Amino acid sequence: MTSLAPQTPAWTPFARYRHSLWLLTRRDLRVRYSTSALGYVWSILDPLVMAGIYWFVFTQVFQRPVGEEPYIVFLLTALLPWMWFNGAVSDCTRAYLREAKLIRSTKIPRTIWVNRLVLSKGIEFIASLPVLALFAISTGASLGWESLLFPLGVLLQTILLVGVGLIVAPLVVFFRDLERAVKLALRFLFYASPIIYGLADLPEGLGFWAAFNPLSGIFSIYRSAFFPGQLDWFAVGMSAIVSLLLLGLGMLIFSRTERAVLKEI
Amino acid sequence: MTATSAIISDDNAPVIAVSDAGIRFRRNRRSRRNFKDLFSRKHRRTRPGEFWALRNVSFTVRAGEAIGVVGRNGQGKSTLLKLVAEVILADEGHVHVGAGVAPLIEITGGFVDDLTVRDNVYLTAGLHGMKRSEIDARFGEIIDFAEIGDFLDTPYKHLSSGMKVRIAFAVISRLEEPILLVDEVLAVGDKAFREKCYRRIEELLAGGRTLFFVSHNERDLKRFCTRGLYLDKGSLVLDAPIGDVLARYNAEYGTP
Repeated sequence: MTSLAPQTPAWTPFARYRHSLWLLTRRDLRVRYSTSALGYVWSILDPLVMAGIYWFVFTQVFQRPVGEEPYIVFLLTALLPWMWFNGAVSDCTRAYLREAKLIRSTKIPRTIWVNRLVLSKGIEFIASLPVLALFAISTGASLGWESLLFPLGVLLQTILLVGVGLIVAPLVVFFRDLERAVKLALRFLFYASPIIYGLADLPEGLGFWAAFNPLSGIFSIYRSAFFPGQLDWFAVGMSAIVSLLLLGLGMLIFSRTERAVLKEI
Repeated sequence: MTATSAIISDDNAPVIAVSDAGIRFRRNRRSRRNFKDLFSRKHRRTRPGEFWALRNVSFTVRAGEAIGVVGRNGQGKSTLLKLVAEVILADEGHVHVGAGVAPLIEITGGFVDDLTVRDNVYLTAGLHGMKRSEIDARFGEIIDFAEIGDFLDTPYKHLSSGMKVRIAFAVISRLEEPILLVDEVLAVGDKAFREKCYRRIEELLAGGRTLFFVSHNERDLKRFCTRGLYLDKGSLVLDAPIGDVLARYNAEYGTP
């Protein structure tokens, strides 16, 4: 037992990466659900409350028609992925700082600290979909063939999130102010993205510029499952381009700052 | 100035090769930093407010060697250990580590307060590259070693600090990695457990592990190590058998 036991089939770097990523993601979820009594309910309560508020404001208080009927389904189709985006990006601001001790003692590839946040928030997003289904059934919204595009939306959003995370996470280590700036930017982005409204509701001319927001295209994909009219291929194309550019930029920033980050934390 | 040693006449390739390595830190956190600096690749120039924690350090380690790192506080011992563990990266030169490393550095780092001891063992061992089946096979051993069989389902945060270190040491020292890095972590824990840790390290050494050991304790250094690296002011001053290194260290800094 003391001899150098031959390691059972050695890890390939990829398998090792996947293994660590999965361990950390499971840890995240387990910690979250083992420390709160309501557990899963929390991850859907937040979007539900928000959806309730906007539904009330825009269908009961104001009569101005934005979006499509049933409005609650229209809202949730973008709100749930927004929760994924919002949660992952704001967690990424602390990706290195919170795990400093672990990062200082293990040499697993450092992109994991961002990717596992994207993954665990993504799993929560998938887990919140039954809520959407419930509302869709109760309001009688019907699913079109466009729902098959769902994996494309998830793929684009993952690319976007990893890109943004790799930019935000290292920079916050050096500029702590950025954490607050990101919170502010997220709040702005909430209203600047087609969540409570659709791309088509924007005034003439603005729609073109809104397409540069990668979330526009991504949400239009999710929405098209129930509302075929929301699918905007121009926005989808733009969001693919912007997401890939951000991913490239993120990888560049990450690799250039890695050694400095390790010294700093 | 660097007397290369050939204590262990093992003829296999070096498992650790450090060539001309250097790493620079900022003197204080507030010193100015701008975007341009952040993104420049390795730069050799020292900017104001920075100092080299280590520079021009070169040595190789062959499989099975036991190396003690000696030097006063703040002379770069721990930094060197971290470079070898690859948890920080050199600003110049290269650090090549050709085999898996079991780092006894900040050993409690991977443990999560809210999870139980059992979950934590699986998590930490997994992060260090152990497969589930391997952990299953060693789980009993790990718990026995740490002597905390009654606390398996206790959240980690409720353990005493001694227990925390014990379980952490038990996990990391069960990793089947060929290189073992030990920082002065073992200063914690009671005497009996410390002795147990040391016996475990000896066991691992006898099993052919390569050891990289940082300590201020002369007795421990002599007990485990055959070769010494003496660091002073960020450079490697002497690389020789441990006895010679300790003699020189004592001569220069007058420890009895």
